[in-house]
Amino acid sequence: MSLRRWTVTLLAALVALFTIAPLLWMLSVSFMARGEAAQFPPPLLPGDPTLDNYRALFGSFGIGHFLINSLLVSTLATLLALFFTIPAGYAFAKLRFRGRDATFRLLVAALVVPGQIGMLPLFLELKAMGLVNSYAGALVPWLAGIFGIFLVRQYCLTIPDEMLEAARIDGASEAQILRRIVLPLLSPIIVTLALFVFLGSWNDFMWPLIILADQDLYTLPVALAAMSREHVQDNELMMAGAVVTTLPVLVLFLALQRFYLSGLTTGSVKG
Amino acid sequence: MAGLTIETARKCFGSIEVLKGVSIAVADGEFTVIVGPSGCGKSTLLRAVAGLEELDGGRIIIGDRDVTRLAPSERGIAMVFQSYALYPHLSVRENMAFGLRIAKVDKAEIAQQVQRAAQILNIEALLDRKPAALSGGQRQRVAIGRAIVRQPQIFLFDEPLSNLDADLRVRMRYEFARLHRQLGTTTLYVTHDQVEAMTLADRIVVLRDGRIEQIGSPRMLYERPANIFVAQFLGTPRMNILPATMADDGRAALADGRRLALPALAAPLAAGTSLSVGIRPEHVRIGDAPDALAFTIDFIERLGGLATVHLQSAAGGGPIACQLRDDGSLREGSSAPVRLPTEHLHLFDPSGAAIETRGERP
Repeated sequence: MSLRRWTVTLLAALVALFTIAPLLWMLSVSFMARGEAAQFPPPLLPGDPTLDNYRALFGSFGIGHFLINSLLVSTLATLLALFFTIPAGYAFAKLRFRGRDATFRLLVAALVVPGQIGMLPLFLELKAMGLVNSYAGALVPWLAGIFGIFLVRQYCLTIPDEMLEAARIDGASEAQILRRIVLPLLSPIIVTLALFVFLGSWNDFMWPLIILADQDLYTLPVALAAMSREHVQDNELMMAGAVVTTLPVLVLFLALQRFYLSGLTTGSVKG
Repeated sequence: MAGLTIETARKCFGSIEVLKGVSIAVADGEFTVIVGPSGCGKSTLLRAVAGLEELDGGRIIIGDRDVTRLAPSERGIAMVFQSYALYPHLSVRENMAFGLRIAKVDKAEIAQQVQRAAQILNIEALLDRKPAALSGGQRQRVAIGRAIVRQPQIFLFDEPLSNLDADLRVRMRYEFARLHRQLGTTTLYVTHDQVEAMTLADRIVVLRDGRIEQIGSPRMLYERPANIFVAQFLGTPRMNILPATMADDGRAALADGRRLALPALAAPLAAGTSLSVGIRPEHVRIGDAPDALAFTIDFIERLGGLATVHLQSAAGGGPIACQLRDDGSLREGSSAPVRLPTEHLHLFDPSGAAIETRGERP
């Protein structure tokens, strides 16, 4: 029994090491002097740790600007997604209206279509609306994600109808029921959904690349890609850029992962 | 306060008609219990009064207002649900105050109302707790408190005791009776439990398959059931029913050929007419008498004090139950002379409707 546990722990540690090694090396390289990482064999730790790469990033390259862009886009995406997804999921679970289940089935069926397929039509649509090269256009795919609606709906199904009826008898309007009864009960799933959208929009590369033409509007991943074309040899600078890109969301995720996981599993099991 | 009138209420779910024209008038201050087996439409009827289900036909009148098309909150009702339906994220105080806060009632007034309701229900010590920290009985009280705070014209209860254990159910039944005496609010109470109906109601409405079988006081329904369904639904153990035919001597011939004297009929029945003879278990007598019928004791359920004796006719008639004080003298398998007192017999025609008899029941 004890031997088995040791083996399992050891295996888990190995897998964890494999997973985290590139991230750690990314962090390590970002503190190396220019060209140091290109030696053979590559060094694990910087010989003479330096902040030069970060100075270059925030100084001449102005990555702070893109960091703020990304923060703005991801925060807006998250807020908008919550604003539209929660009422939609609640309505699909608890309100009676014509075509409710058929519409929902159609939405779930649409989940199997890869997002990339929708990109060209969406781009043409937004072009016609004059939203290309604006954050409005960048935010559109996040407004009402089907997965989010599905998540909220499944969670709402566990709320007993009688509780909502009691509120209706108490004189609460549908909006008040949503705000004062349902929303507090949904808090675990709201954290999950917010994190999901924030991470997704933060890491998203393809759509901002397509829709944003103006360099000033670039988000971090797009800016980083643009930088790599120019500085393809500067591994250390690129790694510092990667650290700046991943660190905020990594910290956010680690801080909230407990809620994230509990949100993903609740709702699936009634109780 | 106000009375409640339900006029020919109809409701369909898809192709199934759950309410087939139900009319009930509840007088101001009356405690009316709707009772019936599951699926009889009783909860649907209550929800229609609350405004949670829309009727397909008929009207609902509270006081002198037609509320058929009004929203639940505009009807002057308060409802207590089977699952209590408390708001889990709010304290007891906030749960009870919720409706008044929505209605933007003055804060001091809300505090006063909540305090008053809490006092009536003895839950003042629980006001700052969350529902999760309450026992089943306490949750039930909070749910009632939330209803009282609204100062409704009508209380609606949907099987409020069915989630409680047997002991607590008896205590809460007593509480309901006390509460109704104290507040005097018109009450419509739905249950499938005939004991709740018998003990709580001023009047009972027996519902089956979306139709009213009978309306009346508990005593009247027990003593003069309109049909076999009502006769057997109220009372435990249920009423014995023996198939019989009218004999030419004015007595009834049981299935095994034995004769039974009948009470005086309001209208005479022709010989050969088939009928059912009913008698409640507590009216069946065991003991020698000139007109006793021979039965065999099949099985005795001893409840301590009382016993239910299941009897089989030696000549092969249907089994009957008899309830009596248990003195320990009866033995399973032994034979027993059984008397079915004429004054306690109920007669039903082949369709199940009661046949009228003359004279008062003792």
